Amino acid sequence: MSIDHNLEDIKRSKQEASLVIETLGGFHVFVNGREISSKEWGRDKTVQLIQFLVTARHRRGLHKEQIIDRLWEDSTVDEGMRDLKVALHGINKALEPNRKPREEAKYIIRQGVTYQLSEKDVWIDAEAFDQALALESLNINENPEKSKQILRYATELYKGSYLPNRAFDDWTATERERLQLLAINAMISLGESTLQSNPTESIRLAQEALIIDPTWEEAYRLQMTAYALKKNRPQVIKTYQICSKVLDEEFGIDPLPETKRIYDQVMGI
Amino acid sequence: MSKDQSASFMIRFTQKIYESEEGSPNVQWRGKISHVQSGDNQGFVEFDRAVDFMQEHLGNVTQSTIEDKTKKEQEGILSKSFDMLKKFKDQAPTFVMDTIKDPMGQVENIQGQIKEQIKDVSDDLSQKLDVDHLRMASKSDYKEVLSMIKAMSKQIEKLTDKVDKLDKSKK
Repeated sequence: MSIDHNLEDIKRSKQEASLVIETLGGFHVFVNGREISSKEWGRDKTVQLIQFLVTARHRRGLHKEQIIDRLWEDSTVDEGMRDLKVALHGINKALEPNRKPREEAKYIIRQGVTYQLSEKDVWIDAEAFDQALALESLNINENPEKSKQILRYATELYKGSYLPNRAFDDWTATERERLQLLAINAMISLGESTLQSNPTESIRLAQEALIIDPTWEEAYRLQMTAYALKKNRPQVIKTYQICSKVLDEEFGIDPLPETKRIYDQVMGI
Repeated sequence: MSKDQSASFMIRFTQKIYESEEGSPNVQWRGKISHVQSGDNQGFVEFDRAVDFMQEHLGNVTQSTIEDKTKKEQEGILSKSFDMLKKFKDQAPTFVMDTIKDPMGQVENIQGQIKEQIKDVSDDLSQKLDVDHLRMASKSDYKEVLSMIKAMSKQIEKLTDKVDKLDKSKK
């Protein structure tokens, strides 16, 4: 299968899915192109439950007690069971308002006492982001231009941190951290590959990486190199100064020698 | 009864391998610890700083849950909580710092422990199975074992046939 075909597959899967879930930079759910409003979701626990199922999508079914332990940790077992039932009803009602009584839910699969989000007909931005980066890693050495296209698509998908409205819930922390690191690395790789052809693009990508983590020294180096290519000496100096200040404040250390070398070159030292 | 309180921490280590100005290879570990429930975070290169960060947040958790207790009870709980945190502070950095300073050494330590475990299991099996005797087996021994297995297979086939016939006659 060609790279084109694979990237197109990932892109097309969004068009073909009837349920589209966006988790990066905000939480939005679309059914057949129409966004579910907060009024339709009703209670916040309904939203939390679908977010929890999205986050646990690779675990192939969660036991109802696992769900209750994480989302209703202060409830008794009976209260938890009742609340889970209410939230599940809320999800199904929001996603499939015309579902007939006793008809099986299309998106939330129940198998005995376990629940999971269906993979069929469902598109999740975080999942597409993962798929794109996996595809890129397979093709990085074979076709740099295609690799760049895939990275561009992945960085466009990353619109911000994972489920930002759940930043203080620990069940989202691992996924958020994992995606953040992938995003930073994708931005740096893409920025490095566009240095010669489009240093302005490299600067933008470095700045995006620094919004995620202001201590990411590689991003400062990328930005300095791009400014140097654009013969913008003052910006190289300014970037180096910000980098030194941030590293000193956060870690009490100096920039690495390779960062200092770029600065020295520009300064003619 | 008071409600259970949790504090979650996310720690990220980033490895920087670089050449020093003198040209010798070097490694630096940079860490970032985040307290999930508050969103606070702290960078560190010495793990002690991360432990201080955790200690501060865990202390806050204890403090927030004992406000309704008497002063004496509060002091007792705080003292026990600090004892635990002190032990944590004294012991936790050692393993992490050993790993950071000498990752290969730590891997070797762990591999050594695994080998030791495997050796224990292997010794145990050797005693039960008399492995040395099996190691000495010659080609003719193998042929003999093979022919015995073949003979046993034939016997099993015959027995199966008999059982099948008995089943049919019952029906």
